[in-house]
Amino acid sequence: MLRYAASRLFRAILTIWIAVTVTFFLLRLLPADPTLLVVEGDMTPEMQEALRSQYGLDKPILQQYVLYLGQLVQGNLGVSFRQLVPVSDLLLSRLPWTLLLAGSAFVLTLLIGIPLGVQAAVGRGGLVDRAVQFFGITANALFIPSVAILLLVVFGSNLGWFPIGQAIDPDTRGLAAYASLLHHLALPLFSLVLVQLGPYALTLRTNMVEVLGEDYITSARSRGLTHRRVVWRHALRNAVLPALMLMGLQLGTLIGGAVLTETVFAYPGVGRLIFESVQQLDFPVLQGAFVILAVTVVLANLLTDLLSMALNPRIRT
Amino acid sequence: MSTEPQSLVADPQAAALTSTRRRRSGGFFSAPSGWLSVGVLALFTVVAIAGPMVVDSPSGLGTDILQSPSGAHWFGTDDLGQDVFAQVVWGTRISLLVGAVASLIAIGIGTLLGLAAAYVKRLDPVVTTVTDVMLSLPMLPLMILVTALAGPSVVTLITVIGLLSWPEVTRMIRANGLVVAAMPYIDGARVLGAGATRIIAREILPAVMPLVVVNVLLTAARAVIAEAGLSFLGMGDPSSWSWGRILLNAQRSGTIASAWWQTLFPSLAILLLVLAATIAGIRYNDSRDPRTRGV
Repeated sequence: MLRYAASRLFRAILTIWIAVTVTFFLLRLLPADPTLLVVEGDMTPEMQEALRSQYGLDKPILQQYVLYLGQLVQGNLGVSFRQLVPVSDLLLSRLPWTLLLAGSAFVLTLLIGIPLGVQAAVGRGGLVDRAVQFFGITANALFIPSVAILLLVVFGSNLGWFPIGQAIDPDTRGLAAYASLLHHLALPLFSLVLVQLGPYALTLRTNMVEVLGEDYITSARSRGLTHRRVVWRHALRNAVLPALMLMGLQLGTLIGGAVLTETVFAYPGVGRLIFESVQQLDFPVLQGAFVILAVTVVLANLLTDLLSMALNPRIRT
Repeated sequence: MSTEPQSLVADPQAAALTSTRRRRSGGFFSAPSGWLSVGVLALFTVVAIAGPMVVDSPSGLGTDILQSPSGAHWFGTDDLGQDVFAQVVWGTRISLLVGAVASLIAIGIGTLLGLAAAYVKRLDPVVTTVTDVMLSLPMLPLMILVTALAGPSVVTLITVIGLLSWPEVTRMIRANGLVVAAMPYIDGARVLGAGATRIIAREILPAVMPLVVVNVLLTAARAVIAEAGLSFLGMGDPSSWSWGRILLNAQRSGTIASAWWQTLFPSLAILLLVLAATIAGIRYNDSRDPRTRGV
């Protein structure tokens, strides 16, 4: 068990290291000179030199790399070109919203996807099964901004059921603040879940069908256990593990989806920050956003892996 | 008297039924999903090639601002008076171009790495680890970063999407290649003195070729979505139209809620194209699979 946990931890650190290294060399190898991008318009060669040494660009590349890693470990992601505040401050003020959005999408997909997948597998050929198979394939073709815009137009503007923009009404306090939070979260969350749910339920269904055909299920049935107990206690446990792992692998896509959703709904997370920074060509923010999202995904993935480990007796021993 | 014609009618029906079933189980085009998806893909290709020759480039400064769909403007106009139909037609070219070329790049890299990992034992752990790492990273933010640094253009989009989309391909090709590499005829080739390159290129590659074809379609579908996403975030080529850019324009001008035609038609185009590519891929897979073939 420790061995497994250690190997997962090693994989997580390796992934973060690769992500960080790739980012560093991309920034240095691409033709764009970062100093030219800081200020538009005229810049004297002296000013450029001063900027270069300020960013450490006049040192050998390996030395720059070591410096960069050192800075990262201390949580220093540089300074935003446009807003002149530390990138880490900007990102940390936005990250909670992205975590809330992506995290609740993850949990909600599990909560709805598991019963759906089980129902589809148990009632094969039935209505739920057909729906799961249909949406399992078509949902891959859904472009998240399209879905988000559709929801925004129908439920936000036309019906006026949900607010558009922002994550919370700043004038609310106490319980009303939580209500406002959920109210603002609903549409972005729903667009993400809508896209994730189909493929997830389909995978669970496939696993479940396989598990239901195994000998130990037949043996459980022959021992006189109720249908309900066999399906939910015996079969689900083994079907849900690979599905949970898969969901962990999908986290990167989920975060990408959150970036697009936040953009449509002007939801103040890291994704919306990326959208704003793209328009202003604020490279340190874009770089920092990638690093922080990569770290988030890797840590969440590690968490899912450890959770599966806790649930899976075969790995636990 | 009355029974004979009935039996005569019933027989051809049954015959037709079995023959459709036989045809259905055989070729790609026997099922409606086969010819329908290929038909849609062909239609998009025609629009991408011939469309811009027939439809004028969408230019601004028209007087018909934010018109809903009509005879003059089939898909309506945007806040600058530009024809949305023309935008969608011109955008088809970019979406298809990026989808196709990026997919080919990703397939090239992915197949090469996948096969190398499947046959050369020493390479396998390295390729597998790098693939897993790439798969677990959030690709969209990485693509945004690289595109922003390289400067948005069609070439950048194709390169970035192509170079970052191979891990899924590698994983599938490797898994399939491992099965093939363990087969006796590969040992036979080795005994006959074939080198690794020859075995990979001449023996394993043909065996996994159907999967490669499926992956071309599925990767192209993902590339189209990625291109639309990047363009929607403002990372598209500023000098050419794309479906994502139409949505971005609607978002920026704040006409999302009022001008439904500006977002609906490009959205439908993305949905149709990606769905057609996905279904064609699945259909091709099914028509090659001996298990579903026999049914």
